[in-house]
Amino acid sequence: MSTSLLASVLDPSLFVPDLRTRRKESVLGEMIARAHLAGAVRLPELLRETLVLRERAGSTAVGKGVAVPHARSLSVSEPHLVVARSRRGLAWTPGDPQPVTLVLLALSPAEVPAEGHLDFVARVVGATRLQRNRQKLLEAESFDAVAAVLREVVA
Amino acid sequence: MSETRHLLQLHDLDLLLEEARDPELTARLRRLGFGPGDVAAIERSRMRLLAQLDARWLGSYGRALQRYGRGLAAVRDRVCLGCYITLPTSASPRTRGTLTLCESCGRVLYWH
Ligand SMILES: [Zn+2]
Repeated sequence: MSTSLLASVLDPSLFVPDLRTRRKESVLGEMIARAHLAGAVRLPELLRETLVLRERAGSTAVGKGVAVPHARSLSVSEPHLVVARSRRGLAWTPGDPQPVTLVLLALSPAEVPAEGHLDFVARVVGATRLQRNRQKLLEAESFDAVAAVLREVVA
Repeated sequence: MSETRHLLQLHDLDLLLEEARDPELTARLRRLGFGPGDVAAIERSRMRLLAQLDARWLGSYGRALQRYGRGLAAVRDRVCLGCYITLPTSASPRTRGTLTLCESCGRVLYWH
């Protein structure tokens, strides 16, 4: 995925500065509801079931307090990235002592080949690899500041 | 859950399975830091879903899945997103969310 394409999936209405919920399935529901409200998701229940199924088959926590749930689904017609933070932290993987504070939900339309979707996911994970960037994402006061970090790291 | 919802669910689940069964893709996900995926868990969910589906749709879905790796395609602006043929106006169902079959490729079509 090119830099411009990653920039195009960033949308201020797909940002949850501080999640209300703490359980993984509820968090996914909260993020999907936000995306549905913004018109980015047309079948929220289908997407929720798909994401929950992936989590049951294996956690999407990637370490350092970051989770990247992701899916290709009929419920989206364009690639989207939903960014959410949890100040209190989430128990994403049972037994993992490190709480998840940053959740980046990467969504691709069903027509996208698996490799293309993983390119997108790899970009998103890559953006959170450096501690400095994670810190900036967690402390950003506005979506513009979040988007600036994500654009900068993939430039 | 309606028949349409079940089939859409099966389609999304088959995309997950496609990733989980591919050794190169799973190795890539592992390198990115993701945990190992439990293919058997997804397959069990698939079996449960299959038991709830109408044989008519399942037959068409299964044949197209075997042939193209995808059993269902969305329709956008009257174009089948599986084979990219423009469908005739007469093919449009009256209600959104309805399933039909693509006369060109045989995939189940989801009109949204
Ligand atoms: Zn077709």
